[in-house]
Amino acid sequence: MRNLFFQQKIALTAFVFLSAIIFIAYYLFSITLSNTSFASGVTLLIFTFILASYQLRKKLPFLPIGNTSTWLHFHIFIGLLSSVLFLLHIKMRIPDGLFEFILFLTYSTVFLSGVIGWILSRSIPYRLLSRGEEVIFERIPIHRRTIHNKVKVLIFDNANSDLGSAIPDFYDKHLRSFFSGPCNQMRHLLHSKRHRHQLSQRFSALIPYLNEQEQTVLHQLEEQVQLKDDLDYQHALQATMKLWLFVHIPLTYSLIIFALFHTIAVCAFAGTIG
Amino acid sequence: MTDETVDALLKSPPFSQIDPTGFKRSLPFRDILMNDARIVGFDQGDIIVRRGDWGNSAFFILSGNVCVELERGESSLPEEILGRRTAKRKSLWESFAQLWRNNREPEVREIASTGSNKPFLNSRSTHGGTRIYLQEVSTVLDKYRTARLDSGHWFGELAALGRTSRVATVFSEGVSQLLEIRWQGIRDILRYDQNGGLKRYIEDVFRERALAAFLRTDPLIENCQPELMQRIVDQVEFHTFGNYDSSKPFKELKNSEQNKTDAGEPVIIREGDFPSGIIMIRSGLARISQRHYNGRRTIGYLSPGQIFCLNEIQAGIESLSPISCQAQLSAIGHLNIVLVPTSLVEEIIEWNTSHEPPETRKNKQTVRTAGSQSVRIKNDILLSQLVDRHYVQGTSLMVIDLDRCTRCDDCVRACATAHDNNPRFVRHGPILNQYMIPNSCLHCVDPICMIECPTGAIHRDLAQGDIVINEQTCIGCAQCASNCPFDAIRMVDIRDTTGNLIVDSKTHSPLTQATKCDLCIDQRGGPACERACPHDALFRVDMHDATKVEKVFTS
Repeated sequence: MRNLFFQQKIALTAFVFLSAIIFIAYYLFSITLSNTSFASGVTLLIFTFILASYQLRKKLPFLPIGNTSTWLHFHIFIGLLSSVLFLLHIKMRIPDGLFEFILFLTYSTVFLSGVIGWILSRSIPYRLLSRGEEVIFERIPIHRRTIHNKVKVLIFDNANSDLGSAIPDFYDKHLRSFFSGPCNQMRHLLHSKRHRHQLSQRFSALIPYLNEQEQTVLHQLEEQVQLKDDLDYQHALQATMKLWLFVHIPLTYSLIIFALFHTIAVCAFAGTIG
Repeated sequence: MTDETVDALLKSPPFSQIDPTGFKRSLPFRDILMNDARIVGFDQGDIIVRRGDWGNSAFFILSGNVCVELERGESSLPEEILGRRTAKRKSLWESFAQLWRNNREPEVREIASTGSNKPFLNSRSTHGGTRIYLQEVSTVLDKYRTARLDSGHWFGELAALGRTSRVATVFSEGVSQLLEIRWQGIRDILRYDQNGGLKRYIEDVFRERALAAFLRTDPLIENCQPELMQRIVDQVEFHTFGNYDSSKPFKELKNSEQNKTDAGEPVIIREGDFPSGIIMIRSGLARISQRHYNGRRTIGYLSPGQIFCLNEIQAGIESLSPISCQAQLSAIGHLNIVLVPTSLVEEIIEWNTSHEPPETRKNKQTVRTAGSQSVRIKNDILLSQLVDRHYVQGTSLMVIDLDRCTRCDDCVRACATAHDNNPRFVRHGPILNQYMIPNSCLHCVDPICMIECPTGAIHRDLAQGDIVINEQTCIGCAQCASNCPFDAIRMVDIRDTTGNLIVDSKTHSPLTQATKCDLCIDQRGGPACERACPHDALFRVDMHDATKVEKVFTS
């Protein structure tokens, strides 16, 4: 852990140092009346290709070209550095041209999704361990179905034929939709347990109307509710960790295409504007 | 072997000295020789065993002479003349081509084209097999230091019984005839022979040939004068604990509901007993535990080469009264130990103290604990769980830190890409604290999966010692999979290149083969899973490397 803090300290120092160099270089370049946007643009394009190459590295795990973790650290570092360069490139203003605005929006979304992804990948693993059983994401529907089947057996099985209609009614009204699919995804992400309290209150409110056998079944149901809720918690968090990549990666490809088009357009019109 | 050959063997020593009455009726001595032994002939220069190969059998010289290479390191026989095959690694292009060459169907096997294999350098066909041989035996004898063994001697038994690599190359000088016995045969003879002749012989051989070198691996004994070393070699005792060949007790312990610390483990020395000497682990693993309320708490474990009870003896010398053992030592699985008597240890300490330079004397405490250092983790509950579940057996235990793992499955995908689109582990397994131990091969220090393989398909790689399965010789008997207590070996239905299941020609049932993690032995750069983890969450840990263990499990 000490080693990790040390690495982060070095990375931060390097980031500050390189950002300062970029600022100084930009200033020195600007006082020579050179076209600073062209230089910063070309550097940004190179940065974009370097950033995209991380995905390529992930596709080639068998090649001895360094650990993926080292590549990720480099990816994050260059990503952050690119944001400094990007702000200089757009001269701290939102572009007014339509295409430039789309390019600005795409870069911003890719950058922000990357930052959010980084925060998520640092915070969610710790939270995943705090509740429920460790389940492989693709197997969650199987576990959910198993729980649902258990609940159905508890309520509708012939062995419990002495049960009145109170529990089946309760199931139809409050639990059917809960057990049939993932629920309360946003609440889980926000670490809220309000839905659990609400359900718990409903369970408590039903107890006075049940006989002893029904109360036993209700307790068993409550256990299954807890299992299902923990499974939803795992689903919500694991899905979020997978979903942010569906924003980050496709938009990166769009960004490359837009940036290339932007570069070609700039080069084509460079002669006209002098 | 024929009945006549076995009869002839039984009439001559050392087999005539073995008492056949102690053997089981279902497994008489005669049957052991018949089934586990064979007579092999060698010509001038034929290499019988090579240094570094993993041994599964021992040899008894029936006639002729063999030469044992005595040199170690740079002056030993070079790899080229031993006909050593260099490890087959994928070239850069082959690695890259996996992107499109990997089969889409799972578990595809290609029939090997045997005809295209180039012959080994220095190999010849003789006595019904292909042998590697030394071309200029006389030059080798002149240039390298060797020892001659003549008829009536054994060799290779230590490597075979210890499931370790051969320490020397042995080649035939002239024409020789040897009896080769599989380790299972030697094990049965050692177990049932009432006279104990072979056991004494093996112990004497170990004492004579390997004990001094083994003892010198410890800093305490490393610099002993020759006279003292000879006395140590003469006086040390050998002890064995636990069942040698069966995984059953271990599996029972692992699956038992109690899963109590050290339950069922043979105790070597109890807490509070006075040590009769230092205990040095020869092979296997030992648990160090201390009394904790009404139970026992694991505080560390010892692996081969590490020692126990030294601190107590040293403290006893300083306080001039014997000090009892501060912890209990028990055997995890099968364990071989060497006991150096207290009187000799006192002499060694005295000799070391009088001969150590003044600057070392200042760091006396460091020297004292260096040899007896066990593998320890600050979190004793985690340590106890690792020992109880026998994960300490692993030389390459896969550990995933769930506090860092984002469940992206890049490790599984990388594993699949490196193995023709077939992942060799599942990212699922027991969770100890925040560490998951997935169902992946541990590459155990004592691999019980290898014990009952009838074809030797599961074997140690010659170059690196990793445990791998040879697809060409695996017959799908599933012995290894059922023996593995970690469920790390999976049986899979195999297919041909068109995707059809390969079936038995008679029964038409699908053929299966064992599969497991091979540490990406044919890939450039080592295990793909570890390198593919973007968050530094997956580690391969050698559980006998105290520094690495502490680094990984301390956060």
